Amino acid sequence: MFNKILIANRGEIALRIIRTCKELGVKTVAVYSEADRDSLHVTFADEAVCIGPPPSKDSYLKISSIISAAHITGADAIHPGYGFLAENAHFSEICAETGIKFIGPSPEMIQGMGDKANAKETMRRNGVPVIPGSDGVVTTPQEGIDIAKEIGFPVIIKASAGGGGKGMRVVWNESEFLNAFQTAGNEAESFFSNPAVYIEKYIENPRHIEIQLMGDRHGNIYQYGERDCSVQRRHQKLIEESPCAVIDDIMRDKMGEAALLGAKSINYEGAGTIEFLLDKHKKFYFMEMNTRIQVEHPVTELVCGVDLIRQQINAAAGDRIDILPRKPFGHAIEFRINAEDPDQNFRPSPGKIQSLHFPGGFGVRVDSHIYNPYTIPPYYDSLVAKLIVWGIDREHAIARGKRALEEFVIEGIKTTIPFHLKVLEDEKFKSGNFDTSFLDNFLK
Amino acid sequence: MDLNLIKKLVRILDTSGLTDLEVEESGFKIKIAKKVKTVSVNSQPQISQSVSPDPDLSDINIKINSKSESDEEAGKNQHVINSPIVGTFYRAPSPDADDYVKVGDVVSQGSVLCIVEAMKLMNEIECDVNGKIIKILAENGKPVEYNQPLFLIQTN
Repeated sequence: MFNKILIANRGEIALRIIRTCKELGVKTVAVYSEADRDSLHVTFADEAVCIGPPPSKDSYLKISSIISAAHITGADAIHPGYGFLAENAHFSEICAETGIKFIGPSPEMIQGMGDKANAKETMRRNGVPVIPGSDGVVTTPQEGIDIAKEIGFPVIIKASAGGGGKGMRVVWNESEFLNAFQTAGNEAESFFSNPAVYIEKYIENPRHIEIQLMGDRHGNIYQYGERDCSVQRRHQKLIEESPCAVIDDIMRDKMGEAALLGAKSINYEGAGTIEFLLDKHKKFYFMEMNTRIQVEHPVTELVCGVDLIRQQINAAAGDRIDILPRKPFGHAIEFRINAEDPDQNFRPSPGKIQSLHFPGGFGVRVDSHIYNPYTIPPYYDSLVAKLIVWGIDREHAIARGKRALEEFVIEGIKTTIPFHLKVLEDEKFKSGNFDTSFLDNFLK
Repeated sequence: MDLNLIKKLVRILDTSGLTDLEVEESGFKIKIAKKVKTVSVNSQPQISQSVSPDPDLSDINIKINSKSESDEEAGKNQHVINSPIVGTFYRAPSPDADDYVKVGDVVSQGSVLCIVEAMKLMNEIECDVNGKIIKILAENGKPVEYNQPLFLIQTN
């Protein structure tokens, strides 16, 4: 086991990792920017090193400062958390080169899965269902129409060099195809200087279902069940839950098996998540793989009875990971509490906390770095707390979530607590029959 | 340094809700800080966070900076050189070489004052003002963090 772990992160996840390290008897080093001098993770760690001024690029993203901090404190491993350098293959490589264990997968695994087209191809070759589409770039409209007819309308024409919704056209039938093909290509040319496009089946209003995976160096790879993360605003998750309300055990096993197949094909090590899109016909398709621990990992921890950070650290230290002590049990829901004003289009609301009370009681967990009086700095993301509740079933979890949110007091800043309470009253949410379009419609 | 004064200050800090106390008067400056411990209450799975100061005297950190009388006249013309990076502080370019600077040396903009070693690279830290070294604020061979004070310079 490691002697000392440096946590290359901040906020609630840094605290989360430090807590597990303490339980393992491992010493901890916190790094912080000048804006985080009074942050709780700095207080909780055994040692702390200031690594730079407030901007992330000069502190939490500055590889040389973090490696240097590890050297001067004698840390033998670095946990990158999520975001920042967690999926930076270069950082993983530098850790290896300087004799520090990166708690995560190898640079090759990170790079392999980070290239989305490559990841999709790897999965496809290994029998994991992927979104049907063209084999690379489509050069003529006729070629496009043939492919579209083969995969079935609706299809989406996407710029190969693209992103941000530009150079994309959804085509509902053959008669629209030619026009869509040409305008997508022209848009791609003007935005990305590259008119090349490819075609994929258009999944209408999918659900976002992800499978939690864990692998060690002894060849063990396990899947720890699914999370439904369909409640999203502008592709940012706000509420996550497990198990998924609308899939049966047959479907659940199929998705779990597919995810395991994908992970085993690359001998995956560490924590990882494979994200699938589930369409309205209950068919699922590989979307992408995240090679890190995720924000919503506590949802899995509560239904499975497993400490995922502990598993990660064990795997990185060369120990065996655990199989689940029992089948997933009950229902867990996580609410991301952000310092944002839901009445002002979720405008960020940094500032000083003036009154604070965390909810408590059976089945209530709060992962948070805030305290009274803490000033939320404006330089980083707006997540201030995660409220995760567990209930015997979904209805119970919803009732408990409502109770806990009503107990939760954060004053001095605006938060998304009132927003979550409104969602819990919504009939569509309560029914469990919703998809990724739910929140956009709810907010209209 | 008046030991009785220090004892009094420690008692004041101890019995108050303060966590830091800094006192400065001619030729004497003292900073006392209380170590703050967290107390966990309740059982799994929720931990309530309440932070309360620990009155145990052994946890009180005392940092004392005493300025010598001759610096009294220098007054405000003082400039601190901080470390721009995280690393290990060295006074000399190599173990058997002379220190770059010592107290009392006159330095100018661009003078190399020390090395901060990071990831096996020796980074020379340059002075950004003209003046005289009054005090060395970091210890040779010890780690320094971002913006940690290294030198106190009396500027002209």
